[in-house]
Amino acid sequence: METIRYFKILISHVHVDCFFAQGLRPGVPAESPAMVFATPTKVVSEAGSTVEYLGTNRVPDLQRLFQTSDGVPIHLKRGVPDKLLYRTTMALTIGGALYCLVALYFAAQPNKK
Amino acid sequence: MAHQAHAYHMVDPSPWPLTGAIAALLMTSGLAVWFHFHSTTLMILGTILLLLTMFQWWRDVVREGTFQGHHTPPVQKGLRYGMILFITSEVFFFLGFFWAFYHSSLAPTPELGGCWPPTGITTLDPFEVPLLNTAVLLASGVTVTWAHHSIMEGERKQAIQSLALTIALGFYFTFLQAMEYYEAPFTIADGVYGSTFFVATGFHGLHVIIGSMFLAVCLLRQIHFHFTSEHHFGFEAAAWYWHFVDVVWLFLYISIYWWGS
Repeated sequence: METIRYFKILISHVHVDCFFAQGLRPGVPAESPAMVFATPTKVVSEAGSTVEYLGTNRVPDLQRLFQTSDGVPIHLKRGVPDKLLYRTTMALTIGGALYCLVALYFAAQPNKK
Repeated sequence: MAHQAHAYHMVDPSPWPLTGAIAALLMTSGLAVWFHFHSTTLMILGTILLLLTMFQWWRDVVREGTFQGHHTPPVQKGLRYGMILFITSEVFFFLGFFWAFYHSSLAPTPELGGCWPPTGITTLDPFEVPLLNTAVLLASGVTVTWAHHSIMEGERKQAIQSLALTIALGFYFTFLQAMEYYEAPFTIADGVYGSTFFVATGFHGLHVIIGSMFLAVCLLRQIHFHFTSEHHFGFEAAAWYWHFVDVVWLFLYISIYWWGS
């Protein structure tokens, strides 16, 4: 295989059809691709915006999610986590308000000494 | 899909004003219950509710602005007015405590020994930790301005680093101030000197913590690509608040720490 590849590299500048039957094209490219074993270290300023720094930009996906016209209000639009947090908050609100009224009722009772 | 013929933001119905109001009720009546019946349950419940309300309300504002695009230029103008008015109200809040300080210190009563600082009070040396604190806050003003310019110029890494440095300086100030509070030779109960000192610097410290939290939220948002070089009002509001906190400290330092020593 290596001999064939070497041969192809030597004659790569010549039109391949002269040496091979119709329809038979070399499957291996005439020049082997540069072998990369590790991502080369780049200076951030040279690499530009293609180098990731602390995560990828998910804003466009979130924009798509929050702009779906399903009539759901903003505080519930993310679905289950929003619903859970809302219900917990509302439970504490209603429960807390009732507890407060009871506490104030007892606090308002005269102190018998 | 219905379209509006104006650039303003008609918000979705929201439960957070109600939960916030109930939180305020629970915190205040909880305070009274704590004073008279030694139970902190109601007050703690109110505080938890307040934190939940703040988190969800401001989360929704971010969603409406960054993800839904509702913060058009006229809407942003309104938000700017809002922040300016809020900071103005805070200026008046601190003005009250400065008034109290100058009222007592410009005409010290015979009970204090007719002098300021009052007899028996060992003041803090203004050229030790308080001067370091001044340097720390002034430096943080520089780093927050650096962060702003980085955001405007699209320099993501620099913006993150300078914003993180600003927050670190804020925490350093809080740490130094906490140490000063612990080591101080006088307490809040030491006459009007103690009262004016700890109430004024204490509320300032609380505002440093609030400002640091606001900047930390901005740091998270910057990391998650919320800010663009043209539109980053959340950060600007945090930077305004931070400069306000810095200026209050300068007044505190000059009046209470330096002139008052």
